[in-house]
Amino acid sequence: MGQIIANAVILGCTYALMAIGLNMVYGLLKILHVAHAGIYTLGAYVGLLIFRTLTKSLWPGLVCAMVAAGFAGVAIFHILYKPVLRRPRYIALIASAGIFAASQELFRLIAGPYPYAFPAQFVFPAIRTKFFYLTSTQMLILSFTVVSFIVLYFLISRTKIGLAWQACMQDMDIAGTSGINVNRVITLNFFLGSALAGAAGILVALYRNSVFPTMGALVSYKAFVVVVLGGLGSMPGAVVAAMLLALVESLLSAAPWFEFPRDALAFLTMTIILLFRPKGLFKR
Amino acid sequence: MRRVFIILALFAVCAFGQQAIKVGFIAPLTGPAAADGFSALQSALLAVDYINAHGGINGVPLELVYYDDALSPDQAAALTRKLIEGDKVVAVVSGSYSSTSRAAAAVCQELKVPFVAAYAVHPSIVQVGEYAFRVGMAAQIQGRIGGYFAVRELGAKRIAFLIMNNDFGISLAQAFKDAATSLGATIVYEKRYPVGETEFRDYLTAIKAADPDLLYAPGYYNEAANITRQFRELGLRCWLMGDEGYDSPKYLELAGPAANGVFITTDLDRDSRRPITQFFLKAYEERTGIPADMVGASAFDAVMIVAHVLRQAGTDPKAFIAYLAELKNFEDAATGPILMFQERTAVRPMQIQIVLNGKFRHFYEYGPEEPIIYYTYP
Amino acid sequence: MLGYILTIANFACIYALAILGLNILTGYAKQVSLGHAAIFALGAYSQALLVTKAGIPFFASLILASLISSIIGMLFGLPSLRVSHDHLVLTTIGLNFIVVAIVEYFDFFGGALGIVGLGTPQIFGHLLATREYLILVVGLLILALIFCWFFSRTWAKLLMEAIGEDELAAAVLGINVARIKLLAFAVSSALTGLAGALWAQYIGSVFPKNFGLELSITMLSMLVFGGMGTIRGALFGALFLYCLPEALRFIQNYRMLLNGVLLAAMVIWQPSGILGKGGLLDWQNIVRKRKAQ
Repeated sequence: MGQIIANAVILGCTYALMAIGLNMVYGLLKILHVAHAGIYTLGAYVGLLIFRTLTKSLWPGLVCAMVAAGFAGVAIFHILYKPVLRRPRYIALIASAGIFAASQELFRLIAGPYPYAFPAQFVFPAIRTKFFYLTSTQMLILSFTVVSFIVLYFLISRTKIGLAWQACMQDMDIAGTSGINVNRVITLNFFLGSALAGAAGILVALYRNSVFPTMGALVSYKAFVVVVLGGLGSMPGAVVAAMLLALVESLLSAAPWFEFPRDALAFLTMTIILLFRPKGLFKR
Repeated sequence: MRRVFIILALFAVCAFGQQAIKVGFIAPLTGPAAADGFSALQSALLAVDYINAHGGINGVPLELVYYDDALSPDQAAALTRKLIEGDKVVAVVSGSYSSTSRAAAAVCQELKVPFVAAYAVHPSIVQVGEYAFRVGMAAQIQGRIGGYFAVRELGAKRIAFLIMNNDFGISLAQAFKDAATSLGATIVYEKRYPVGETEFRDYLTAIKAADPDLLYAPGYYNEAANITRQFRELGLRCWLMGDEGYDSPKYLELAGPAANGVFITTDLDRDSRRPITQFFLKAYEERTGIPADMVGASAFDAVMIVAHVLRQAGTDPKAFIAYLAELKNFEDAATGPILMFQERTAVRPMQIQIVLNGKFRHFYEYGPEEPIIYYTYP
Repeated sequence: MLGYILTIANFACIYALAILGLNILTGYAKQVSLGHAAIFALGAYSQALLVTKAGIPFFASLILASLISSIIGMLFGLPSLRVSHDHLVLTTIGLNFIVVAIVEYFDFFGGALGIVGLGTPQIFGHLLATREYLILVVGLLILALIFCWFFSRTWAKLLMEAIGEDELAAAVLGINVARIKLLAFAVSSALTGLAGALWAQYIGSVFPKNFGLELSITMLSMLVFGGMGTIRGALFGALFLYCLPEALRFIQNYRMLLNGVLLAAMVIWQPSGILGKGGLLDWQNIVRKRKAQ
């Protein structure tokens, strides 16, 4: 049982890393950023590239993945979302979906349709207790997630730009008139959120030892569920929702009589909860 | 003298410029199944080159006309019509999955053109009518052999099942179960998982608690690789057995050292000394840079068999299917000899291969004298 | 070649029918649905079950399938009464997964092996091959177009548009938002479900994986590309975007890539679609502008 919970926590971390980025974008721009999954995949491929060409060690790949993903995210904002901010939201959604579909094809055309193994090397402690065992990869994921959130928390609540961020989340127009450089806030937002997605991509590639063009689809929809459940725009909500979802999934999957696919289960849970609490579990 | 030479040259040009015999081919070249589509297409093209290098179809070159069906049955149905009516192919080979193959087979049956599925397993594909054939082994037989092997040779008494939820996984698991239970084994765990699942630790933790002797996990190599790694990570010590879906170098690459000791049922014997098998393995790797897999081998065989029948029976559809249905002991297949066709599905010897030190090695074989490789009639 | 073209025509018209349905929900009532593939699946599976398990003749099954889709579609619409716009999109995304999971895991719906053997449809003993089927499909499409045209002149459509424009204001004006929303879901699902049933019958088999989120995205993009909120836009978008990949076949390998990029570009630069109000080729608008000059 302890092992099931331990595994679930790690799974939850992967969801949380994706959900944070989505949350950031949604909180500011109210756009369902489907292309986020493309950035996740980009992170994995960049990591793979570094692994195969430069060095077998994980860390340079991780840094490059995050940076590349960050820039990609910002680019997507400028090219795709900025022109349509004043228009109905489904426009951005469809554009995002189009770019995501195109990105999967791009990865296939450049890197080929086959999955690649990703045995990058790194040194990290593992934990073995009587109740559960976490491999070094799992510990890496856990630590990275925790550190990211601590950093983000400080950024948002203790720095000036974090304050500007919060203002923009409440009302972008008024924040703009108050002298806040809204563009800069949004750019930073996209950069950080996308960097986290890129990190999630490379970490999951490491965890599952495979990189392939359609890997983004699997996790992105789940991340949306997490974002909604946690209450759109709420960071701690997203983390809690991610863990909760992972836990529910894992416990039910382990039960011998239960046989429903995880994704469907996640959405079903979301729908039911939304019926009772339309604003999500944690009100903003 | 020069005039004669020119006339002869013109004649030769006419003979070659003569309509090549066209065979249609559909495969998912884009979309989620692109890897298998690529493998199937390259192998089919390889077969065409081989055939043309060995005299074509009685001197006439063979040409493969192929289209991408993007794993969509609409497109498969439309494309099959295009192949038959527009490109005037004499037969259609499907290098695609079951839903698309089923749609294509239906069109071929309607238009009375021979259809051969390379590796799609859904039983209904060959049931559309007398024009639909399948080159790959039936899942029922493969599963059954797996069951026999597990109980008789490996001595497994408690068996756990982790089944990929599609036609492939389900048919294999059902047959395996029936065979194993008829020999006295008990089922200690059974779960289906969706295609594309990557997280198996929860299932495996429950399986570990059920303490089986063997875990049978029918599926494709992506999921299989994850299952294998997580299986070892969690410390399970029972046998792990798979199917021909594992039969790909990608499985070995993605699963890494965790795959050591895994058994699979398949028809491709990589240690085989048969010249055609060795030719295919080498040529495929030269052509694409990656080692071959079962999907490719099946596509190769499908084209080889179509060419053979065309050579012997000509392009008339009725003659084609009559000859194919009665074909016995076809040796020119990379995946092993095709002994005969029953229910329009190929019957062939089945291999048990084991993964040792990162390679698939021969372990056991159920040859032509084994009754369990044939369909039993109800 | 003719058979090929007729086959494409068949599917194009079936999709046109489906998008007409989507237009009612998403075009008029602005309830953005990324789950219409699930509705399409409802129609397809209903048809498959009715024909293979209940032995009901083809045409009667079509009508029943459409009805069943309509009722269940209305049920799917219930969340829209409680949740806000953005949550609704996510709920509809979820619908795809839930419906696919249900038909994949419960053997009554065929499970992962799907349902096969729908057989060649016949009306009054007369077999319908591709050519005759096309006549039927086009006939139904024309009927649907007439229906939509009449529908666009009813109060119901105005009410839907009002709700789409500003739900709060509509409610304040005394409009029974819940009832109109459910009506939108019902009518929309009836049309899309019918399309699904026709699709299933034509292919002859249904498999769960045919109805995923990608299909929903394709359907929504057809509507947006053509012009949301207009019948001509729905029709054009479906026909054009279905036939485009076939026409682009010569660049097979890059087809899907171009599709995605085209979609994104189109939606950013011309969000009213091609034929929608204010769209690229909205001749009424163009004529009006010319007259004003």
